[in-house]
Amino acid sequence: MMKTNANQSRGAPLSLLAVSLLLPLATLLGVAATATGGEVPDNFDNQGKKLFTAQQQTPTGNLNADSGGRTLAKFYALRQYPGSPPRIPHVVDLTFSGNETDCLSCHGKGGYSAEFNAFAPVTPHPENILCTQCHAQIQTQEPFVETDWVSIAPPKLGLSFLGSSPPPIPHTLQLRENCIACHTGPGAVVEIRIDHASRGDCRQCHAAVPQSQPLTEFTRK
Amino acid sequence: MKLDRREFIKQAAIGSALATAGSLFPGISFGSWNRLAGGPGVLAWQKTPCRFCGTGCGLLVGVSDGRAVAVKGDPNCTVNKGLCCMKGYHSVQALYGRDRITTAKVRKNGTLVEVPISEALDLVAEKLKQTRDTYGKDSVAMYGSGQWTIPDGYVASKLFKGCLGTNNVEANARLCMASAVTGFMTSFGLDEPMGCYEDIDHADVFVTWGNNMAEMHPVLFSRMLSSRKRRAGVKIIDFATRFTRTSQAADKSIIFKPQTDLAVANAICYEIIKNNWVNDNFVTTHVSFHKGKTNIGYGTEDHFTFTDSAETIDYEAFKLFLEDYTPEKVEKISGVPAEEIKYLASLYGNPSLKVTSFWCMGMNQHTRGTWINNLVYNIHLLVGKISTPGNSPFSLTGQPSACGTVREVGTLTHKLPHGVVMNEHDRQMAAEIWQVSVENIDPKPSYHTVEMFRALDRGDIKFIWIQVTNPMVTMPNLRRYRDGALKDDRFVVVSDVYPTPTTDVADVILPAAMWIEQEGMFGNSERRTQHFAQIVDPPGEAMSDTWQIIEVAKRLGFEKQFPWSQDNYIEPIWEEYRRFHAGPTHEMAPYTVLAERSGVQWPFVNGRETRWRYNPAYDPACNNGKDFDFYGKKDNRAWIWARPYEPPAESPDEDYNFWLNTGRVIEHWHTGSMTRRVPVLHNAVPSSYVEIHPEDAADLGVVNGDLVKIISRRGELTMPAQINGRGVPVRGMVFVPFFDESYLINEVTLDAFCPISKQPDYKKCAVRLEKA
Repeated sequence: MMKTNANQSRGAPLSLLAVSLLLPLATLLGVAATATGGEVPDNFDNQGKKLFTAQQQTPTGNLNADSGGRTLAKFYALRQYPGSPPRIPHVVDLTFSGNETDCLSCHGKGGYSAEFNAFAPVTPHPENILCTQCHAQIQTQEPFVETDWVSIAPPKLGLSFLGSSPPPIPHTLQLRENCIACHTGPGAVVEIRIDHASRGDCRQCHAAVPQSQPLTEFTRK
Repeated sequence: MKLDRREFIKQAAIGSALATAGSLFPGISFGSWNRLAGGPGVLAWQKTPCRFCGTGCGLLVGVSDGRAVAVKGDPNCTVNKGLCCMKGYHSVQALYGRDRITTAKVRKNGTLVEVPISEALDLVAEKLKQTRDTYGKDSVAMYGSGQWTIPDGYVASKLFKGCLGTNNVEANARLCMASAVTGFMTSFGLDEPMGCYEDIDHADVFVTWGNNMAEMHPVLFSRMLSSRKRRAGVKIIDFATRFTRTSQAADKSIIFKPQTDLAVANAICYEIIKNNWVNDNFVTTHVSFHKGKTNIGYGTEDHFTFTDSAETIDYEAFKLFLEDYTPEKVEKISGVPAEEIKYLASLYGNPSLKVTSFWCMGMNQHTRGTWINNLVYNIHLLVGKISTPGNSPFSLTGQPSACGTVREVGTLTHKLPHGVVMNEHDRQMAAEIWQVSVENIDPKPSYHTVEMFRALDRGDIKFIWIQVTNPMVTMPNLRRYRDGALKDDRFVVVSDVYPTPTTDVADVILPAAMWIEQEGMFGNSERRTQHFAQIVDPPGEAMSDTWQIIEVAKRLGFEKQFPWSQDNYIEPIWEEYRRFHAGPTHEMAPYTVLAERSGVQWPFVNGRETRWRYNPAYDPACNNGKDFDFYGKKDNRAWIWARPYEPPAESPDEDYNFWLNTGRVIEHWHTGSMTRRVPVLHNAVPSSYVEIHPEDAADLGVVNGDLVKIISRRGELTMPAQINGRGVPVRGMVFVPFFDESYLINEVTLDAFCPISKQPDYKKCAVRLEKA
């Protein structure tokens, strides 16, 4: 199990472990993952330290840099549904056999790769070091059989609640607590790249309101 | 109309965002947006302080077609320099909740009936007079809040203390800031911080004492993070009882057992002295040593009284007192390893480091709240790290005008706008400015907040008027006080903007103008007075709290004291109030200056704001010719207090084996009556929950979302569990956000308070848990 999941289910009775294995998928899709209460905010913000560490350790230049190479269209083309682990879009040397440091040598902190002539995207969860557990190396584009798979649309951008207000975070935070990894720097997707990360506490202004969950108005009971 | 390219893109973006938003969020009305977006867009930006916490961020509210439609941070405001938090950015949406109270309501035969507001005000005045005639002047009371504008609180105090002659004026800041006030008064003789937010740009070390700033004062917190990023070697140490978002961001998180901050603070002083880190020049010239009473009680019984008495001691006696607080001894009570206590002491003690301490409710909502405030000042005073840029013991406030209205205007039972009711000179000054006879002002304080609601329950108070606050969610040991308010011959008037559990117990509901629907001023945590004009019209018959009080005062025959017209009353009220603070120690800016600027810090002398008090380089009130002048105390010194560790009123035992801690989340402010009407904030945190340590949850057999019953000696509450959420309590503690009226956690809490400040402790009581 990945570390974040282990955290979440630590100490849960054995019979519940099977349920908690299913949780990551459910929460990524924004499905309420709660048993009976149903309204517990599903923020996974106990991993928020990653954001603060990234803010402290990323050079200001990298927080603000822009390369423009990666787009949302390319980003979603690698995913089966919003929030799914992307497949590995480039060749991985056959001698590479899951040696955990190799992916992170580029994707841990990002930076320019001459081999790909591109800036490497930064992973928001470098503590999960067995990358190939979730990220698949594609060997063929040919399907085994055709599939009727459909999924939900990716979150729309710019859905501020007021004309000038910070847009809410449209996805859940599990495995994506470090906003800086994906939203700043030269490896970031251009449509979602920001250049005001120096204050570090993104959740000061951006509330987590996953778009895939129904929105409700407050009414007194 | 010809649009340039940039303008076109902007308009197109707004238009398409609206179109999609409308279809995506059924139930949320974007109707008026669409209308406005088709027109010229935002017409005007007007300045105001934020409606929510005590940080006092400057906002610019975008107004179009008479409605507030957008918000941006005010770049001219030094508090936030153009940045807000999610509450500030969406604050104007809190004006437009569909269940806004727009008409007055009067309870007739048990049901609330709409009446014209003038009729409701007639009834309020008549009931007030009748109650006073029948049961005496102290049978009527006013309960306001740190969200009162300065004019609101001023006219309330003038009517009740000056005209009606009762000291039954209190505010919810008693539940929030009272220990900060008594801390300042006992240590310095004058209320409110010596420093300002600019300290954040200078300090090398920040210590947050039981203070989750990342969620409670987010704008100051991110300024701190940005300061740490910009400058090498800056450290944040989080000293707390629970692991929070602030602990996540800190360079070091130190967890202590509830209440033992008292012992740790003394141990830090012990280490500073032991290692010769004391700033001898400073201490010899500017500090005197004192002790007060011990074993001072907890105030859980009716009619509890306590008066401290100060005894001067010498430095040697203080050192002797600290012998009980070696890091090794304190490790045993606090659970903080001696090494970490020594580390903290070394940061305070290192003469090359500038240290700022921040605190708010953790230290104030504490049955020894005054003491722990004193103790943190002790640390700063021993090393002389005070009143200079970056060296700052900084008490933060939780409400937008807890300082401006409650502390400066003095809407507490013992206070007057200048000084206290017990002081004859202060009474004379008030009588002269208020144009009342000095005999009219009662020299004896009456009820502090908890005792006021106990008096309502007992029947000593029969009439209470509650403005801008929600005590039927926030009072500790709530059930007793709600039952009291509901008793037959009690008359409860509530002025508010939305229905709440407090309006549920009202006999009269008065529709109030909210925030920028009226003109007013707030005062923030750093002595900054912030004026806002009326920016939009209040809905229906809603009326400012100030004017509601004036209307009632006029009906009671006090036209002479309340001569103002509804067209122009804020300016004359401000100029009258300002007379109380004339002089270099508290001079307030004139109305015309306040109206122009995004906040002005007092003392405002000869056109200049004072950023650091007691320091002659900044503070014009210093006149002793030395490097500091602590002019608040008669001996011209700051006072160090020997204050021991004493246990809390209630600790976990065999029957009730968990600590209960309560507080807030970043999305919701206070009881959520405003923020829950803001769609994005409500959807981010739609309801409250109980945070449980994962191993305690496993022992109980609950997973995320399972219902847990929390039981105390006062009451019980069943609510969903949150495990490994944004905060993680230590084993043996649970934490509950109090914003949710569906889960009234204060039915479980204890109404024990600090005997000096009379502020209740919402952070510590004993409960047991059951899987529900």
